[in-house]
Amino acid sequence: MIPSDHFTRFYNEVFKFLETRGQADLDLYWLEISKNQERHILDLIETKGLEGMRQYWSVIEEEENCDLQLTVDDTHLELHMNKCPSLTKAMDNDAKPMERYCDHCAGWIGPIMDKTGYHLVYDVISRTEPRCVMRIFKDEKDAREAEKSVLLLMGWPGRQQPAS
Amino acid sequence: MQKQPENPLRYQEDGNVHMDFHGAVNTTIDFIVERYGVDVLHEIFAKVGKDVYVDLRRHMQAGDPNELARHWQHFFAREGADFDIVVGEDEIVLTVRHCPAFHHVAKIAPAVSPHFCDQTIKVNDAIAEGTPFRVDTEITGPGACRQVIRRRT
Repeated sequence: MIPSDHFTRFYNEVFKFLETRGQADLDLYWLEISKNQERHILDLIETKGLEGMRQYWSVIEEEENCDLQLTVDDTHLELHMNKCPSLTKAMDNDAKPMERYCDHCAGWIGPIMDKTGYHLVYDVISRTEPRCVMRIFKDEKDAREAEKSVLLLMGWPGRQQPAS
Repeated sequence: MQKQPENPLRYQEDGNVHMDFHGAVNTTIDFIVERYGVDVLHEIFAKVGKDVYVDLRRHMQAGDPNELARHWQHFFAREGADFDIVVGEDEIVLTVRHCPAFHHVAKIAPAVSPHFCDQTIKVNDAIAEGTPFRVDTEITGPGACRQVIRRRT
């Protein structure tokens, strides 16, 4: 058994292999992980909207031992990850981290938001710092406005951003 | 005399566990096997064994298999497994009667991949490769196995 605590280091090895095959292969994998994650979040979004998302990420906060702040209002959800346990473990690793390790988060979340009609704005800030800001909006106009102030905007399969 | 506290494991963990990661491992295994074949899956697990678990290999190479037994103890206990470890003169035997990873996946996923336990077999093989020890993994049932560290003859 690879311990669940070490999943991110396994994930990192999978990313490194897929990167050798090209971006299209990484995109297909993130779509597969996105489908996997639908089991945990899709019903919550479809029945409770932003509040369902808050419930999902509250469980993640607890189970993954995250240092984060999560707020929801009528228009959007905002998650400030102060110390990401996933990237922290990928970096605290005797194996080399994949340079675009952070891209996987928007890679699986984005397709679910597209499917459910929400608008993701994912600011990774820096791929070498374990912190980021995720905003999910009901209104696309608000998302486009929020994109103007990000430091490093992430894309996902179906929504590419300029290469960074 | 007071017993000296043991050094922490290289990847010592505390806090909560997120069992759903095992579901993502299951999905990943199926994805890799379907698209690239089982040999690629095994290569990825070998990279985990050799490149991630460098410290466990270092202990094995130095003739100390107990660090792997400590690793088993720590992580199987954290995930609530039904298991025991018997340290004998010639071998260390881990018996897993209820694997938390396998049974969690069986609960949340449509099916447990037929290659799910390859993660254990191939990571163990890679940790032991080039060391004075073998780690033999025998799957004894659904979510059950026996893992034995023995000195190579």
